[in-house]
Parts: sequence; structure tokens; C-alpha cells
Amino acid sequence: MKYVIIGAGVAGVTAAETVRKIDSDGEIVLIGKEQFLPYKRYLLTEFFCGTISKEQLFSLSCEDLKRLKITFRKGQLAKSVDFENKKVKLFHNETVSYDKLLIATGGKPRIGPALRSFEKNLQLYYSLEDILLIKEKLDSVRTCVVFGQGLSTLDLMAGLKNLKKEVIYITKKPRAFFPLLQSNSDVDVHQFLSEKGVKIITNDRPVSVEKRDDKFIVETFNGEKLTADLVFAWDDYRPNIRFLENTKIDRKIGILVNEQLRTSVEDVYAAGDCAEIYHPKIKNYWINFGYPNAIEQGETAGKNMTGLNENYRIRETLVFHVLGKPFEARWWE
Amino acid sequence: MKHKELSIRFCGIAGDGVVSSGKILAGTVASIGLFVMVNDIYSAEIRGLGKSTTTVRFSGKKIHSMGDGVDLLVGMAGKESISELVEVKSGGAVIYESSEPGELVEGESLAGHIPPDVRGYAVPLKRLANEASGSNRGRNIVAIGALCYMYSLPPEIFINHITKLFQRKGESVVENNVKAFRLGYDYCQENYPLREEFDLPAAGEAKKLISGNEAVARGAMNCGLQIYAGYPITPATKIMEYCAKDLPPLGGWTIQVEDEIAAISTVVGSWFAGKRAMTATSGPGLALMSEMINLAVMAEIPAVIVDVQRGGPSTGLPTKVEQSDLNIALYGGAGDSPRVVMAPADSEESYSGIQLAFDLAEKYQTPVIFLSDLFLGQRIETAILKEKIDRNRSTRKKATAEDLKNYVRYQLTDDGVSPWIVPGESGAFYTVTGLEHNLQGNPNYEAEVHQSMTEKRHRKFESMIQDIPPADVIGDEDAAIGIASWGSTIGAILEGMEIAREKGVKSKLIKSIMIHPQHEESFRRFFDSCQRIIVAEMNFQGQYAALLKSRYGIKPVEMHLPAVNPVSPKAIAQKIMEVNDELTQ
Ligand SMILES: Cc1cc2nc3c(=O)[nH]c(=O)nc-3n(C[C@H](O)[C@H](O)[C@H](O)COP(=O)(O)OP(=O)(O)OC[C@H]3O[C@@H](n4cnc5c(N)ncnc54)[C@H](O)[C@@H]3O)c2cc1C
Repeated sequence: MKYVIIGAGVAGVTAAETVRKIDSDGEIVLIGKEQFLPYKRYLLTEFFCGTISKEQLFSLSCEDLKRLKITFRKGQLAKSVDFENKKVKLFHNETVSYDKLLIATGGKPRIGPALRSFEKNLQLYYSLEDILLIKEKLDSVRTCVVFGQGLSTLDLMAGLKNLKKEVIYITKKPRAFFPLLQSNSDVDVHQFLSEKGVKIITNDRPVSVEKRDDKFIVETFNGEKLTADLVFAWDDYRPNIRFLENTKIDRKIGILVNEQLRTSVEDVYAAGDCAEIYHPKIKNYWINFGYPNAIEQGETAGKNMTGLNENYRIRETLVFHVLGKPFEARWWE
Repeated sequence: MKHKELSIRFCGIAGDGVVSSGKILAGTVASIGLFVMVNDIYSAEIRGLGKSTTTVRFSGKKIHSMGDGVDLLVGMAGKESISELVEVKSGGAVIYESSEPGELVEGESLAGHIPPDVRGYAVPLKRLANEASGSNRGRNIVAIGALCYMYSLPPEIFINHITKLFQRKGESVVENNVKAFRLGYDYCQENYPLREEFDLPAAGEAKKLISGNEAVARGAMNCGLQIYAGYPITPATKIMEYCAKDLPPLGGWTIQVEDEIAAISTVVGSWFAGKRAMTATSGPGLALMSEMINLAVMAEIPAVIVDVQRGGPSTGLPTKVEQSDLNIALYGGAGDSPRVVMAPADSEESYSGIQLAFDLAEKYQTPVIFLSDLFLGQRIETAILKEKIDRNRSTRKKATAEDLKNYVRYQLTDDGVSPWIVPGESGAFYTVTGLEHNLQGNPNYEAEVHQSMTEKRHRKFESMIQDIPPADVIGDEDAAIGIASWGSTIGAILEGMEIAREKGVKSKLIKSIMIHPQHEESFRRFFDSCQRIIVAEMNFQGQYAALLKSRYGIKPVEMHLPAVNPVSPKAIAQKIMEVNDELTQ
């Protein structure tokens, strides 16, 4: 049996490990487009702030991959899938055939149409590559402008403050707001950020980000003109499924799966931030974000790929860590 | 990560521009004063067929060998490059082609074999080359652009070098190549922004690049080579090519003869006529030359024979290196047949050494066998040549008016060297023969004559000591571990010693371009100062070790290094550590 997993995030890695536990002989191919060993994305801010080392980010070492007999195709992008012939086509045109396929490509920040023409001047905060590139510049960075609504934005701001950088946060809302649960109601995020020294601009949004010498000039809808060393901005977080365009697999925002994480195509599964799972209670699909969920989904998908029939239990909430402090949230973005 | 040195290998097949990639990269970094060494490896005897690789290693510090492993593999040919992956260091990188049309079969692509501790960079080399010039030809330049970004090298130095290099071919060629370079650079910048750094020292004066073979040819021409006679053989042919191009304009001759016997005969004949002459060959050719070399010994006619060693015996391994012709060089003659044997360690020594070879041959009227090897001969390196140009140089012991009164060709002298006149010079006639002869040169088989003539022929080697350089001792003088070696293996030893030193183990090396005769006193002193001696060389029998054992009575640890590929400095370091462990136990 040949198991191919696209995406070497927590969901993909957990699935690979799970498959190996059950099927000691099957061939496992893990395809990840990033230039690193599989790592824990949710710890990136800890690494950014220097509380953990780069090595502590990695979830599998070269020795682990060898021991688990996992062929890791590092830095290789899946550019399409031929479901009829059960083949994954890679960026360099090599095809990898599969018997069982798991798509665990996660999600990534998306820059909306308003800011897209300034993409070159915007910094994302999502991958280890982003963090390493930011770290290279960090010494010469004093002021950062941040725009976005998601939890990773909150994480980023906390990280930047921790590194003693000036942070200007722009939000479309009347107050800084993040989708934290009632259980955290003792925490007023707006106040929390203000107290940490974050300057908050409300009811506004950036309309242009131009580079001038070593600085960036941010203009907002309300006419504010800000100067920054780095500008972090994205609009939302979307599943990485563009490579499935023109295929028959059912999808909405993410890939649609049933409770067993099976997609509409036989022998193809999806797990983690790229999967939209059928929620029997609300009778609709939703993305069950967050790393603990991705781990559980990876495990369920891994088991079912080997022939088991296990159901994944939807989580209503996710736990999000801002510099070690756990927050409960319902939505990621 | 900041690299103090980088080793980059291009791998491809005919038409991929592998060799020119190496030249461009090496030329560029040498142009800003870095030290470089380039080694090409061909799998087939005939260049341009099958797979080939070129490896460029460069640093701000002098480079002595190709080191261990490569930091970057540029896989111009995907499938053929797979077997090169084992050479990529952990943490190293691979550039692979991502614009192959159609479908690549699983497992046949280079990418599919890259181990997880190595980074793979997919770069559409062909697509970008076509964008630049409308053909695949600039793929190698695209790759150079990509690696320039990857290691944060300044692009201007490449653009300057490419411009200079292609200027002759016209503006559009320059433009296309610069564009190809830019496209590779920009592609990496956009897709792989995270990059490593090369610790670039302040730009220094441009350095010259030269191969061992070229250094031999240049050295010979610059000290008065007049006749080159040879028969092509890998890996020595280049010497003839240089001489063919550059010797005639200097008033000399290059003759390609029908075989190696004709080549050595031409050389001996030329020297007989007083002309500085040389041939270059490899092991099989040297075997064929044995008898004529013997004639030169017996008739006391100089000859300079370069043997660019390859794997043997017989036709052996034409494209692989080995240092296994020492025995034939030293002993490959009938009778008591002494000859000078020299072995340079690098291009600088190849240049100065071949000039010394001519001087010794001419002064002492004896053949000199100059043992280079495939790795040394073919590799290109930055060298600081002690340029000596004197086409009229002569070390001949000429006959004085007194000598000419009653000239005898083989006059017995204290130093064993007889005054020598050549045909055409007035005042004397003499016989030359391969038979044992008397002072006049006439055949003579009497016991006393044979004894005194044999002694004379050997006495020259004792006198020669005054003209040969003393051996060099390199490393920590107080080290207990001493190493002796010869030829191109020296480079790997110097680096192996450095690795061991970084780990706290000291050692020292004795090296001499002279294999026979040697400054025995300096060797004895060196061996006496060591508790343990390692003799390392690239052959199975331990030919140099055997010589040193019989000459100095030492009992060394012998490293008979596997031939075929240049020696690994790490293997040397490991041996030094092992010997150190034994010593300190
Ligand atoms: C800064 C930050 C902090 C976070 N903190 C928390 C937290 O505290 N708590 C929490 O629950 N969640 C947190 N998250 C979210 C969490 O990291 C994700 O929910 C989780 O990583 C999802 O796992 P996954 O395996 O589905 O996807 P990912 O971890 O995103 O992995 C998917 C992988 O697939 C690769 N890929 C994508 N497309 C392709 C392709 N076509 N071919 C090959 N490979 C491809 C991607 O490059 C990626 O490496 C955080 C996220 C960020 C960015």
C-alpha cells in the first residue's frame, strides 16, 4: 500500500505517524513545499521571541523519518492531482502515484484585493521562512504597523511587544476585537493591547503601503500617514487548495469531508486547516481550525487510510496561546 | 549561516555547459582575489560523452584540495545527478531543473532522491534560459545567477566577468548571458528569499587560474623548451595542446609522433643535439618509453619526461587518478639505471618544478621523470607562479678550451659530470651508444670500465644534492606525529592536518618535490623527531612507503588510499586522530 500525504504540517505528520503505527510495511511519502523539516507552526511566535530554539520547532528529525520509513519530499510543491489515475503532480513535473491520498495543506493568510497591489511591501507572519526573514531584519526594526483580525495577528503583536518594538495596530472595528470565547471575558483584548503599549487605530484600514528608502509609508482610509520599518497585513486565512482547481473534488472554502475525513473522491482524505468537516449539529461544513484539532484529524485520517472506520469528533472551540497564555476561541479568523 | 568556503558541483551531460559553468564561477571568484580549485570528472574517455561533473571550491584562504563533500549540487541533468547526492553535505543544497516538459517518472527525478537534511531548489533553468536567449544554452548561466543569490554573492562581480568573457562574441551574446544570469538571480530572490552567506573577504587582486598541465607546459616553455614531442594520452594531452599552440611562436617545435617510443626518441635525440626537449605521457606511455630512457641513462643524455599518472596497470583507468607509477619511474629500467624522479604537489610546484627538472637534466645529463597525476594535471587552481622567463637558459657543463684539447665525452670527474659538447660544436667527435663504453664512448665490457662508469653515473646523484631544494616541514614542529607523502595527496594532507589540529591533535608533514635523489639529512632529522610516522599515498602497494622504509629504516603507519577520486582530508584527519589515540593510550 502506498500512502501519499500532501502537506507536512501537524495534520500531515500525525497522519504519517499513525499510518506507520498500523501498517509497518506500507510506503509513506510525505510531500511538503517548505524548505524545512516538518515543524510546529503554532510555536513560531515562541521561536520568534527567542523562548525556544529553532530545533525545538521541528516535529520530526531526519533520524525519525528514517526510523519511520517516511520518504520526505522536502521543498516540493504539489501542483495538481490526477484523481482518475491516482497521481500527484509535483512542481517539477514528476508524478507520484498513490493508493491512498491525504490532503493536509493547511491554510495561509490572504491579502484582499484592496492591498494586493502593495503585496511586495507587506510582510506575512505565517511560516518559518517568514520568521527567519523577519529575524534577519529585526535589529533595524523599530516601528511596525499591523493590520488584520485573526488570532495570529494578536499573537504577532504580543511577540513584537515582547521584542520591545513599537506597534501600531489598525482595525476596521471600533475596538480591537478577536474571536475569543466568553470564557475569556475577563480579558479585554483592546485594553490588554493598550496596556502593552500597542497604539490602536480604530474604524480604519490601510489603503496604500509604499516603500520609501528603507521605510514604508502606510496611508489609511481616514487619511492617517504612518511610517514603519515593517508592515504586517493580511485580510483573512484561507485553505491552501488552489492546486485542486479544475478537479472534481468537492470543496467550498476548504475541501469537504465527512466525519471520517473522506472527501468526495475515493481513497482521498483531507485533514487540518484545509478541510471543511460536516458538522452534524449545524448541518453544515466548517473548518475546525487549530493545532490540537489538526493533530486529531491527522490521527483519524491516518487510521481510516489504513482501512479503519473512525469518526472525528468536532471541537467547538480551539485553544490559542498568546505567549504561553491559553485563550479559548471559536473561530480562527 | 556564514560559509568560510564553498564547494559547488555542476553535474550534467554533453551540451549542458558543465565545464564552462565551472570556469565562469571560478573565473569570477578568482577575479576578486579568492582562492579557487576546480576539478572536472568525466565518466567517459572521450570528453563530451556521457556524464561529467565540475566542482569549484573557493575560499578567502588558500585551498589545497577539493575537500570533503559539496555545499551545492547543480543538477543540470536530473537522472545522472542522482548518484552525486551522496556528496552533498548535510545542510547543503541542490538546484534541480523544474521546467522539464511532460511527465517525469517517479524516482527518476533528482528531486525524488534528495535526503531530508539537504534543501532542494526547483529552478526552471531551461525556461529562463529560453526567456533570455531563445535557446537552452544559457541554463548554466541561469544556475550561476541562482547560486549567486543563494549565497549572497555580489552579482556585479559575475556580471563583470560574464561581460568580459563574452565580449569577443559580440554584444548580443553578452546581453543574453547577463540576462540569463539576472533571471536566475531574480527567480531565487523571489521564490527562495531566505539565503545563506559567504564570508566574502575584502576584494583582493585578481588571481590567475592555471591547471597542473598548463603550469608544466608554461614552466617548460618559459625555461627554454625547444622541442615538444608527444603522443596523445589522457590525462596528459593538454600539455601537448598548450605546446602546440604556444611553442611555435616562440621559435620552438611541437611534434605529434606516431607513438610514445617515437616521442621519447625524439626527445633524447633533441637533447643529444643540445636542445631542451620534453615529452608528456601517462603510465602506459611511460612503460613504452622504458628502453629509450635507459639509453639516455647509459649515454648520459638528458631527457624530461612528464608522467601525468592515471589508474593502472595497463590502460587501466584513463579518467581516474592514482599515484602508482612511482615504482616504474624509479625502477623501470634494465640494469643499474638511476634517474631523477620528481613529483610536484600543486600547480605552483608544477611550474617551478619542471624548470628545475630541465636544469637538473641538462646539468647532470640524465633523464628526469616528472610525476604529476590526473587530479593535479587537470584541476584548475589559483596559483601564484614565481614567473621566471628565460628561453636561453642553459645549465650545461660546457667543455673548456682545455677540455677540448683532448676531448673525451665521458671524462671521469669528481662530481660525475663530464663536460659536454653537442654535434656541430667544433673540436670533438665521440661515439654514443647504449652499450657500456669507455671514456671516449666506445663500447667496452671490461669489469673495471663498467664499474667506474656505473659509479660515475651514480655519483652524479650525490653531487646533485647541492642543486635540489631541502625538504619542507609544515605543521607543528613539536608534534609527535609526522606525515610523509608526495604529489597531489599533499594537498589533502595539509587540510587533514588542519582538521585534526582544530580537534586538538598536532601533526607535521615533510614534503619534497624530490623523490630521488632526496635531501636525506632533512628526512632523517624529521623522522628522528617523530614518535609515529604516517606515510600516505594513492596506491595499493605503498610505493613511497617502501622507498622510505628501505632508505631510512622507518616503520611507518601506511595509508594506501583508494585511488579513483582525490584524497579526502577527513580520512587523513581520522588517521591522525587514530594514531594519536594509540600514542596517548
Ligand atoms: C503564528 C501562528 C501561531 C499559531 N498559534 C496557534 C495556537 O496557539 N493554537 C492553535 O491551535 N493554533 C495556532 N495556530 C494555527 C495552527 O498552526 C494551525 O491550525 C495548524 O498548524 C494547522 O495544521 P495543518 O497541518 O492543517 O496545516 P499547516 O500546519 O499549515 O501545514 C500545512 C503544510 O502544507 C504545506 N502545503 C501547502 N500547500 C502545499 C502543496 N500544494 N504542496 C505541498 N505542500 C503544501 C504548507 O506549506 C504547510 O507546511 C497558529 C498559526 C500561526 C501562523
